[in-house]
Amino acid sequence: MRRIAVSLDRDAMAMMLILGLVAMGALTTSTFAARATANPIHRTAAPVEPLPASTAPISSEGGLILRGSREVATTVPAVRLGTDIVADVDGQTARVTVTQAFRNTSDEWMEATYLYPLPDDGAVDTLKMVVGDRVFEGEIKPREEAQQIYEEAKANGQKAGLVEQSRPNMFRNSIANVGPGETVLIQIEFQAPIAQVAGDYSLRMPLVVGPRYIAGSTNSGGSLTRAAMLAGSADILAPTADPDMVAQAGSGLNPVSITVNLAPGFDAEAISSPYHAVNVTGEGTTRTITLADGAVPANRDFELRWSAAGDAPSLGLFRQKHGEMDYVMATITPPSVQRIGEAPPREMIFVIDNSGSMAGDSMPAARRSLLYALETLRPEDRFNIIRFDDTMTVLFPEAYAAYDRALEQAKTFVHSLDAEGGTEMLPALRTALDQQGCADASKVDPGSCAVSAAADLAMGEDKTERVRQVIFLTDGSLSNEAEMMAEINQNRGESRVFMVGIGSAPNTFLMRRMAEAGRGTFTHVGMGEEAEPQMQRLLDRLASPVATNLTATVEGGNIDFAPRDLPDLYAGEPLVLLGRTRHLAGTLTVSGMIGGERWSQRIPLGEARQSDVVAKLWAHRRIAEVEAERYSGETSHERVDASIEELGMAFHLVTSRTSLIAVDDTPSRPEGARLTREELPLLLPAGWDFDHLFATQFANESRDLPMRESDKQRQRLELPNTSTGYRLTLTLGLMLLVSGGAGAAWWRRRTEWQGRLDTEHALLSLQRRAT
Amino acid sequence: MTAALAHSANTGRADMKGVLQRALPLMLFAAIIVGGLGLTAKALYIPVKAELAQILLARAFEDSLEQGTPVKPWSWADTAPMARVTVSRLGVSEVVLSGGSGEAMAFGPTAVLDDAARNVTVLAAHRDTHFEFVQKLRAGDEITLERIDGTSEQYAVRAFETVRWDEFGVPDHNTGLLALTTCYPFDTDTPGPLRRIAWAQRIIG
Repeated sequence: MRRIAVSLDRDAMAMMLILGLVAMGALTTSTFAARATANPIHRTAAPVEPLPASTAPISSEGGLILRGSREVATTVPAVRLGTDIVADVDGQTARVTVTQAFRNTSDEWMEATYLYPLPDDGAVDTLKMVVGDRVFEGEIKPREEAQQIYEEAKANGQKAGLVEQSRPNMFRNSIANVGPGETVLIQIEFQAPIAQVAGDYSLRMPLVVGPRYIAGSTNSGGSLTRAAMLAGSADILAPTADPDMVAQAGSGLNPVSITVNLAPGFDAEAISSPYHAVNVTGEGTTRTITLADGAVPANRDFELRWSAAGDAPSLGLFRQKHGEMDYVMATITPPSVQRIGEAPPREMIFVIDNSGSMAGDSMPAARRSLLYALETLRPEDRFNIIRFDDTMTVLFPEAYAAYDRALEQAKTFVHSLDAEGGTEMLPALRTALDQQGCADASKVDPGSCAVSAAADLAMGEDKTERVRQVIFLTDGSLSNEAEMMAEINQNRGESRVFMVGIGSAPNTFLMRRMAEAGRGTFTHVGMGEEAEPQMQRLLDRLASPVATNLTATVEGGNIDFAPRDLPDLYAGEPLVLLGRTRHLAGTLTVSGMIGGERWSQRIPLGEARQSDVVAKLWAHRRIAEVEAERYSGETSHERVDASIEELGMAFHLVTSRTSLIAVDDTPSRPEGARLTREELPLLLPAGWDFDHLFATQFANESRDLPMRESDKQRQRLELPNTSTGYRLTLTLGLMLLVSGGAGAAWWRRRTEWQGRLDTEHALLSLQRRAT
Repeated sequence: MTAALAHSANTGRADMKGVLQRALPLMLFAAIIVGGLGLTAKALYIPVKAELAQILLARAFEDSLEQGTPVKPWSWADTAPMARVTVSRLGVSEVVLSGGSGEAMAFGPTAVLDDAARNVTVLAAHRDTHFEFVQKLRAGDEITLERIDGTSEQYAVRAFETVRWDEFGVPDHNTGLLALTTCYPFDTDTPGPLRRIAWAQRIIG
């Protein structure tokens, strides 16, 4: 009897224990449920052992695009701007003149600044400021010195124009002391090489800088503080014009007219401009292209494409003497080799941007591009998808064989992507590079490596043969380009990085440099309709043999090429060699490996034509290379800055360290007259969703105010705890009720049965005693 | 005989023990049930109070609107209605109380900040009662804020953000902002440091 009681007590205790566990379970599941909702897709994916945190929590440190009063311009600016662009295409380079007319419509003295894009491979060398019939030539000065001259002239009442580089593809013009009703012209000139792929040529002229996201992760792992980082990106911020204001502005805000004088050196055909209507006049080797609508809003990149009628020249050779040195530019197109048999199995990691800047036309274009690429995968290929905004999701824990089910899952995933949030690309890039195969076993968890190696063995494959390609689909609307390049330089391993620039105004600088650092190539998808053909072209290039180990030598002389290490070339891409030497003579020999075959070409340098742009293009290329050394950590910041400044000064180029400054020698603003500063608003790139984007950014504005304003200027508010948690209490209460009730019922049945047993027991003992 | 007596006494003590052993677990279960009842009642009290208070508050709001001065919803209340917030798409209409005390929040959304000079109003309410609807808000939703002085302002939801409770700031210059703040994430019941903010901007005209 006693034993039974004890064991029952134990049962009761066990009951309590179970109850406690259930309650705790309820608590934890409710917590996890909340976490899981942030990442519903991941939950359905396979186990996640070897992955880095795949969903970053909503970043409380996250960024912004525009801050404070610079967010959205709702009033028509006092200084109105008109831009005229004339591009003279001569052979394989273009000389472009950009004239910006600043017209002051107010009755005050104005200072205006305007942020605008140029091709990232363009070298700006000339500034002219035109006031009435007087022209002031700009001089190249170290950045700080130019700023100082500008500030002094501004304070003095003199007109001054300043051209500064914020990014290799973003420039800022400042103009001081524009009188009431006055118009001042700022004219800059630059040259850029013509892009060329497989006989197709193009000139891309960006017309607007899309609002940029300032990543909150910039300081992670680096020494840069957030405040310093923000200060560094302040110069790429400009107010965005409210569409309602643009409608009010009448003749349009920031109209642009474009003329291209096309003299490619051959009979051009298939001249087209995919994003603008154009008129083409002229015959044979010289044509003139103008915008059909006269002036267009500066809200999307202008692109002119043409191809050669008949055979495109596979070689272009130009030379220039500049100072003591000879400069040479050679454009050589290696023969495209058809692959014999199947391309080797690939591992393709797609990284797709679904941040707020992609809202509108860009997201569908990115989706279409990715879906198209998925269609081209073969079962022997492996793939994975990473999507990011200010959070990130990795579809599979590691690259997965492209079988139907995985592809179905991937397509569902892609279809579900919505454009929202900030652009934190770095974690996504890190993950994409991190998930490398076992060739780089030090980086991955050895366990998972063994598993995939075993899987490969089972499939009779050799992992080392797999080509690893990371393909980014993004508009690149971010400000921490340097971090991306640094990451690729340091951790690319065996991966190659390819960029697909999405939308009407992608950040081409980022596309080109990330692809360069990742030994890949890049393309643009401007609109949804372009998605399939452009992706097809890119994927074809990816599948074709790559020209590697390229070297160039000159008989009887050293030649200093920029870049020093020649890049790998994808099918159809020309090798653009820019070099300098003391005396240019003899024969240039270029050689390399294409698809396992040795290839070489000899070029007699005597045939080079004179051109006055070669030296500047060489300098610009060298500057880009020096910048790349900064990202890879080969050279210190100080030394990079010093050599860029030296190059900029020597070649009269605007760089990150040198600016062009023009000053009117006579003061025009009367003493005592007030000067009002205005930042000219930029149009939102075509296809971008203003409401969506600024709804998102709007929130970030208040988040970021602490960084910009001192503590007394803004109000910090502590928010009360607003969780009653009654549901949890209710759940617990009901659970206790149910379990208590159930326990009691069970106990009653048990005691009844026990009672019967006791009675029987008593009867039995009575009987026994009676006998 | 003595042996028999001793035996019966022994059985009696054993019976007593048996009763205790039988009753103790029963009492335990009774305690669990009572506890459960208590918790359930306590939990239900919160939404019931929240709902009932809104009925009283709605009446007080109408009175306040009529008289132009705040009218207490019940005589011992230490708070009074200051406005009514309506989201017609979600069929939500709630009376906002002045002062952001925890007690007031049991009855309705409270104004943590209502600064006419800076054009900012920040409301807070519990995520599981009055501001449960915040998770259903979408950009573009219109919010009406009727004040007891008879004025009425229209806002449109423009943005959402998630911040730590102590990292929230309001901008100085703006064209009329309304922030609905509540705890985040929505589907948990444990208190956490994050707050969800729905930002709405005044619609001009």
